Amino acid sequence: MSKRIYLSVGLLSASIIAFQLTLMQLLSIIQWSHFAYMVISVALLGFGASGTLLALARNWFVRNIEISLPVLMILAGISMSLIMLVSSTVFGSFDSYLLFVDRSQIVGLVVAYFAFFVPFFFGALALGLMYIHYIEKIGPLYFADLLGSGIGGLIMLLMFWLFYPAQLPSAIAFFPVIAGILILPIRLRLKFIAPAIAAFILPGILVFSPPALPVSEFKSLSRAMNLPGARIVIERSSPYGQIDVVRSPALRYAPGLSLTYQGTVPVRDVIFSNGNWFGPVVEWTRTDTSHFLDYTTNALPYQIIRPSNVLLLDSGTGLFAAHALTRGVGNITAVEQNRIATGLLKNELAGMIDSMYHLPAINPVNLHSRSYLLKDDNLYDLIILPTSESFGGTSGINALEEQYILTREALDEMWNRLSDDGMIAVTAWMDYPARNTLKLLATLVETHEANSDLPVENHLAAIRGWGTISFILKRSPLTLPETQAIRNFCNTMYFDPALLPDITPGERSVYNQLQDDEFFEYIDRIMARGREDFYREYDFNIKPSTDNIPYFSQFLKLGRYDKMQDMFGQSTVPFLEIGYLVVLLTFLQITAAAVILILLPLLVIGWKGSGKLYTVLHFSGIGLGFMFLEITLIQQFILYFGNPIYAAAAVLSGMLICSGAGSLASSRLSTEKGDVVKILTLVIFFIILYIILLVPLLRITINFPLLVKIFFSILFISPAAYFMGMPFPLGLRKLSGINPTLTPWAWGINGCLSVISTALATIIAVEAGYLWVMVIAAMSYGLTLVANLIKT
Amino acid sequence: MKALLIFLLLALNMHPAVAQNYDRMRENMVRRQIRNRGIDHKPTLEAMLSVERHLFVPAGQQARAYDDGPVPIGYGQTISQPYIVAYMTQLADPKPGDRVLEIGAGSGYQAAVLGEIVEQVYTIEIIPELAARARGLLRELGYDNIEVLTGDGYYGLEKHAPYDAIVVTAAAEYIPPPLIAQLKDGGKMIIPVGSPFLVQTLMLIEKKGERITTTNLMPVRFVPFTRRN
Repeated sequence: MSKRIYLSVGLLSASIIAFQLTLMQLLSIIQWSHFAYMVISVALLGFGASGTLLALARNWFVRNIEISLPVLMILAGISMSLIMLVSSTVFGSFDSYLLFVDRSQIVGLVVAYFAFFVPFFFGALALGLMYIHYIEKIGPLYFADLLGSGIGGLIMLLMFWLFYPAQLPSAIAFFPVIAGILILPIRLRLKFIAPAIAAFILPGILVFSPPALPVSEFKSLSRAMNLPGARIVIERSSPYGQIDVVRSPALRYAPGLSLTYQGTVPVRDVIFSNGNWFGPVVEWTRTDTSHFLDYTTNALPYQIIRPSNVLLLDSGTGLFAAHALTRGVGNITAVEQNRIATGLLKNELAGMIDSMYHLPAINPVNLHSRSYLLKDDNLYDLIILPTSESFGGTSGINALEEQYILTREALDEMWNRLSDDGMIAVTAWMDYPARNTLKLLATLVETHEANSDLPVENHLAAIRGWGTISFILKRSPLTLPETQAIRNFCNTMYFDPALLPDITPGERSVYNQLQDDEFFEYIDRIMARGREDFYREYDFNIKPSTDNIPYFSQFLKLGRYDKMQDMFGQSTVPFLEIGYLVVLLTFLQITAAAVILILLPLLVIGWKGSGKLYTVLHFSGIGLGFMFLEITLIQQFILYFGNPIYAAAAVLSGMLICSGAGSLASSRLSTEKGDVVKILTLVIFFIILYIILLVPLLRITINFPLLVKIFFSILFISPAAYFMGMPFPLGLRKLSGINPTLTPWAWGINGCLSVISTALATIIAVEAGYLWVMVIAAMSYGLTLVANLIKT
Repeated sequence: MKALLIFLLLALNMHPAVAQNYDRMRENMVRRQIRNRGIDHKPTLEAMLSVERHLFVPAGQQARAYDDGPVPIGYGQTISQPYIVAYMTQLADPKPGDRVLEIGAGSGYQAAVLGEIVEQVYTIEIIPELAARARGLLRELGYDNIEVLTGDGYYGLEKHAPYDAIVVTAAAEYIPPPLIAQLKDGGKMIIPVGSPFLVQTLMLIEKKGERITTTNLMPVRFVPFTRRN
């Protein structure tokens, strides 16, 4: 066996992970991220399907390995480069936006699944074929696979900066093509020269002239571009996503504007991220003495205080910063993790906002808001959370987005950052049925109760316009002049108070009537003792989220789904919480497909015979356990580094490379029970250690310099990852000794379970929390341990 | 060319069997989707029976014209679910002598329904291609009392103000001040508000003297979130 095969494996693996990341971004741009998640999850079943095919036709593939292996790699490359052309065809007639209202779209969905499945299938087929054929070299081969994957993830961080999304699949396609040519036997190279050149030319052409992205006509960006005179004035590609700045004389922004407003609603540029609304850039100058936000419920805190220090979390495009400056605030900290957006505001778009981000009064911070709260020790008169666009009225698209700034722990940290008369302010769109408005209130109420013995009703105020509701939670009790000022503001603006220390029922809907008065009954029950009963009785999950279950926008109670369907009808329910439903749907689809893919080979290799129970338990356990732990670690490190992209890259690549090293070292180990049991016991031990120590250790070291944090995280991850890289190659080696026909089946089982685990981990995290995901990771490795204790 | 296509379309639909089929579908639509759901405003029901909805949807989608849902018409727009059109029309409470402004002509269907009842409808569409299509079709169908204008609906149409009713079909996060100013005393505005690309709330705005009140009616996204208790 030539040494080139290791390089070939590395290149192929790097391309597969890079392709996966690229598809995630591409499909998020063309359609939506939850749809991208579903399609890619199903496409990754290519790994499971490759095992099924290898189990069914093992002999043919092995007999022709000299040709089949390089050809499979080249086919993987060609299918990757063709993906943009295929996408244009698929998404010409299919739109996931219509999926729940037009059943004929299901055909398009199935075609999309197949189109994106093919490259993964060819790639996985090549990898699986190598593993079963060169089983004696499984340790170094798996090392090359994992090392390649780790490096592939890191390379993508660079490629996202260098290429536009439409160019990326073809740029990546070179890797598997080179990988295939590398292992093509020399005597066959002449024969294959023409197809090989063609395989290079195709991605080459598509890199330099990629087809246009077939972006859904229903995406925010497409609809903005339909406006008269609309044009994209700035375009940026980055790991944060594709950023587009659109300018049009008909783009206006004034959420919840008072009906008394007589001025002109300002025209603004809009920043879109992956085709979705990110934020408006509203013109502002230093001489402005009023702001249109003065005519919205957002102005509530300014009716009762003149803050000196203001903290803006997820400050986006700086709208609240401009408002605070107009209100004369002298010290504003604006925290936003999207560096590209902040960079645009500081540079290219600075003229529109009178170089606001260069004023001494503004301190822009590029960090995850929660990470900033964990590091910061200043006191503020006012802390403003982002408006509901980011967490409300979104049909549950963001249901599975971890929102660490809206957890109980986050609110506690905000409370501790308040000055004596300081307050937390947040605005949300009114929703029906009420969900995020109630959960916001519940979070504020519980925060107050956890930090003060005084009655909460004296510290909370809320006002409601025709579309929005704004809350404030004040550290000191609201005074009579303050509540009077709020009432005056409401009367001037045609708003209605919803919560005040001395509120009367009659003043709650003078100007703005709701569908019914249930909303007021609900908020009163949340304010009163015994709200736990209300949380249980209410049809949606409005219990405050925590760091363990950080899904603020997840409201659907699975047990009430049938009731919801009865109440709102089949076509409406999906829009109550599309994000979570998509994950559940994904889980059901991939589980059903995985069962078929796992059972199918048994028709050929037989239902009886030794090693089958071992194969199922060993490879299911490591498939589930590895992914469960990886997903949990990524979540924890997002807060630790304050940046999800780099956290994911650091953890993912670190884990893969350390696991690769473990795989390499496993070559020297025997497949005897003793060694494997020791390794698995160590893995379980480390996971238990993480369950106990991970969060406290990360919190203690969060203020360390970045390089120290990177060193610390690798040190923390490496021991478990190292040992987690061993059970797969050891298991395959052992299986080849018991019954070699089972090795492709094992590869398929591992592939299927790895895919299932991503959806399953999310469902467990939503229903029970991340702690349980880690516990189940340990239990999964326990399953593998049991497999090795059973006599085969 | 466009006129020829519309003529062919109309000619095709005049085939007795096809036309009868659409007539029956329309009757079913009004009975099952509209009347059975509580719409009892007689002029609205008559208008919905009269306007040939299938002519307002793209040729390839005509078979779905009378389905209980929206139909895409291009440019990220849809022709609203029949029930929504009827619900908004009933709320606007149009009367024979009224002057109505519509913002967001789209396919022109809502304007046609209003045009069956009131004296004059002005409808503004921001996407020129949609405006041209709606204008051509409404002219072909003989709606002389409907004027389709191309432009930014934010400013309304001051020239013919004030209006007895304003029906806005395009969602926004704000209620345009010029539209409130152009509403007659005692007039009504129906508008979907909220994040334009996601769930919106259908809202009724009433102007009585200096006082303006709002009523949240129901959330909508393609179809209303009507709650059955």
